[in-house]
Amino acid sequence: MAEALALNAVLFLPVAGIAYTALARDARPDAVRGVSFALMLVQFALVAWLYLVFDPAEPGLQFATRLPWIPDWGVSYLIGLDGFNVLLVLLTAFLGPIVVAGAWTAIDRDVRLFHAMLFLIQFAMVGTFVAQDLFLFYLFWELMLVPMFLMIGIWGGARRIYATVKFVLYTAFGSILMLAALIYLVWSLKSTSGIVSFAFADLVHAGLPPQVQAWLFAAFGLSFAIKVPIVPLHTWLPDAHVEAPTAGSVILAGVLLKMGTYGFMKLGFPLFPDAARAAVPLVMTLGVVSIVYGACLALVQTDIKKIIAYSSISHLGYAMLGLASLDLIGIQGAVMQMVSHGLTAAGLFLMVGMIYERCHSRDLADYGGLAKLAPVYAAFFVVLTLAAIGLPTTSGFTGEFLALLGTFRTAWQAHAAGNDTLLWLAAAAVLGVVLGALYMLWFAQRFLFGAARVPQGPVADLRPREVAVLAAIVAAVFWLGLAPDAPMRRTELAAQQMRGIVLGDRPLVALP
Amino acid sequence: MNVQALFVSMLPEHLLLSGLCVALAIDIAARSPRAVAAVALASILGAALAAVLLAAGGYASATFVGQLSVGPTTSVAKAIVLLLAVPVLALSRDEFRDARFVLLVLASLYGACLVISSDSFLTLLLGLEVLSLPVYALVLLAMQRPSSAEAALKYLVLGGTATGMLMMGASLTYGWGGTLALSAFAQALEAPSAMAGAGVALVLSAFFLKAAVVPFHAWAPDAYEGASVPATAYMATIVKATILLAVVRLFGAVELSPTMTAFVAVPPLVSIVWGNLAAIRQQGFRRLIAYSSIAHAGFLYLALLGAPAGRFQAVAFYAAAYGFMNLLAFAALPHAGDDLRDDRIDALRGLYQRRPGAAAMLAVAMLSLAGLPPLPGFVAKFLVFRNVIDAGHTAIAVLGLLGSYLGLYFYLRVIQAMFMSAPSAGEAGTATLRRYALAATLAALVPVALATVFPGWVLGMLRA
Repeated sequence: MAEALALNAVLFLPVAGIAYTALARDARPDAVRGVSFALMLVQFALVAWLYLVFDPAEPGLQFATRLPWIPDWGVSYLIGLDGFNVLLVLLTAFLGPIVVAGAWTAIDRDVRLFHAMLFLIQFAMVGTFVAQDLFLFYLFWELMLVPMFLMIGIWGGARRIYATVKFVLYTAFGSILMLAALIYLVWSLKSTSGIVSFAFADLVHAGLPPQVQAWLFAAFGLSFAIKVPIVPLHTWLPDAHVEAPTAGSVILAGVLLKMGTYGFMKLGFPLFPDAARAAVPLVMTLGVVSIVYGACLALVQTDIKKIIAYSSISHLGYAMLGLASLDLIGIQGAVMQMVSHGLTAAGLFLMVGMIYERCHSRDLADYGGLAKLAPVYAAFFVVLTLAAIGLPTTSGFTGEFLALLGTFRTAWQAHAAGNDTLLWLAAAAVLGVVLGALYMLWFAQRFLFGAARVPQGPVADLRPREVAVLAAIVAAVFWLGLAPDAPMRRTELAAQQMRGIVLGDRPLVALP
Repeated sequence: MNVQALFVSMLPEHLLLSGLCVALAIDIAARSPRAVAAVALASILGAALAAVLLAAGGYASATFVGQLSVGPTTSVAKAIVLLLAVPVLALSRDEFRDARFVLLVLASLYGACLVISSDSFLTLLLGLEVLSLPVYALVLLAMQRPSSAEAALKYLVLGGTATGMLMMGASLTYGWGGTLALSAFAQALEAPSAMAGAGVALVLSAFFLKAAVVPFHAWAPDAYEGASVPATAYMATIVKATILLAVVRLFGAVELSPTMTAFVAVPPLVSIVWGNLAAIRQQGFRRLIAYSSIAHAGFLYLALLGAPAGRFQAVAFYAAAYGFMNLLAFAALPHAGDDLRDDRIDALRGLYQRRPGAAAMLAVAMLSLAGLPPLPGFVAKFLVFRNVIDAGHTAIAVLGLLGSYLGLYFYLRVIQAMFMSAPSAGEAGTATLRRYALAATLAALVPVALATVFPGWVLGMLRA
């Protein structure tokens, strides 16, 4: 009971934050920042407690609240934690205070509005994860657009209007088809079983014919694929990342991009199992293409923000791959990869923001030898870079390795059944690991080592606030790398369930 | 005829009429616009309360058999229309110092109530004329501008055309069925007779014209632009809501055949696409709202494709949500002046810096009009498309949703101007807080907030 209340508090604390920013008309900017930081910290503390009391052996929803909301339509306010969202909510809440602290000096204009937008997006992100009702999920899903639109558009770089409009129009196009599909899905459930409900748990039993499933999976999948983003639907991402303020990039890379993979995991695959099984080769192919193509693009960028933006596309390809392998280890690896990427990309974007605040350039050619000028900065940068390319003992290794392992296990069974396509795909994905190491290490080498130069004068090393922020991220990176056991146990039952729903009692080798 | 029934069933109309008489007397005797406005507000609120109580009590009565009858849905419809009038009235106080606007609105509302409860073409025509004639004068009230007269004339001529088409259609239906009852229209919808078909086509076209659906939409942008803000608000919300509620009554419990479905679906779909595309190019705020209202009329008409039992709820919720969102936008609009220069969207640049509250309200209104959740505009669209898909018209729903996607950009453009642009030179000084605009904002915000937080409760109230 107390846990359920805490989860509701977690969801609605940001609303209190919005109310505060709206009412505190005369507050000094530092007071607004301080209160926002404190609220985000309270939210994180509550989530951390929920994470600790989360029971890994309990297969269903935990800490659930269910209230009828639109009874005529079978819509209820249904929230709760399960094996999939518990880690992602933890990630979201963890990044909340970090974003506030990271933007402390970078945002000096419309501070109250900025923090109101931070709270609004936090509300929408937590809501998207904890919602267990499709209507509620869609509300929060769409709500994420508005604060992000304003955040990029108000505090962004020179081409911010273009980037933010592109971002909104791209993502909204996916959602509009998802809306049509979800109405159709609920209507089908009503006509087959007589149940009028938007709850995920009911919709899983809709029992749709495969052809209908294919259409609906395509509509949902398009929306999720744009969010991930999967190549070739990724072109909004570099623009949005480059133009967004650091806080926007951190939220975008840290949490928003996980919405797509989470959507596939929570909705796309379990709701339309027949279509999902048929789409496995396609999803895997697109995942591998994203890994390799994203890595190749990152290799040739000269804008340091773009390098990390394209590396995100590559890294989330592993999550898609692990998910589509439909192997227990692969699915769990996909979740770990999502969390890990959330941490490393957030950290790297923060570091790019820190250097940009000092030197006002994002051109890699302007920099060199930062290790001599700012050794602490360089140390953190190396750690995060190594985590991003999956060095053992870091979270990146856990995620990438498990996702690939799952892929190979599935591919091997397919191979035994006479189908080698998946094996080739898995091999190509390993190539991505090499490419990943190549572009990240080359980037670090040009950025940190060599002749010391920065665009504007002497560069100050990290301030204590920045060290604290980065230290928190690095600690989390090593936690997931060294002791992944506890978080992994929490995702196990959920992964098993999803696998069971999608595969049923069919053996893996029945895969096309 | 039962005198008591006559008194009770038309209580909202009686309250409006007596309010109008008292207000006129005060205007003649005391020349006090404040008192006139107070009386008008009291009578509108009283009438709305009466309608709510009648609806809550489930009161039903055929007051004039075959001409006019009252049921719970008509009372709910009246309550919606009357409550929409409250912010309009508040808006007008900043604009017009004398009592004319208020008196015309009272008279027009009486017509709206008649339309909503009419049972025959005769009453319907009578109500439509009482509804429309004051609006022609309302448009003309912004006389300082030459375009105002042009707009009023255009509106008058096209309004007259609509009336003519409706009369012709009613005559043809009468010639076919021998009755002026509205139920004859519902029968004529499916009748294999050329005369009935022509009658149906004319009546429908008249209603398309009144609600500004493509291809009968061209008057709306000029009329909206030429009129003053409160008059535009009145046309865009109350007139449109009344027309659509009348159409629902007209269609009754008829299930549409595939041919009729096409006839009813195509103009609204074109309307959605065209309205949204044309709005992208507009520079003036009122023209933008006009094109947005053309698109929204399309969504409202699509509700007719749903099962008959759900039509009233869909149209009532949509009309109310759309009306209050629009009124919220008009109330938050910083420029009360009639100057066309002030009406440009560019005049909104940097509004957040000058008046953050107004900018936030306008942003909420725009997002809701664009249909982004969790605002009422989304719930309204969801309701309409749910009914359309439930009735098996999935393709039409997908087309309609894609059409609504086209509208997203121009609503965002308004937000972009307010939040992401620096104020252009010379705009900074023009922000003056209007006294009554705050009251209008509140009167529009409360229903919007209610429908956002408790959509289930609001939908339950509107169930037919």
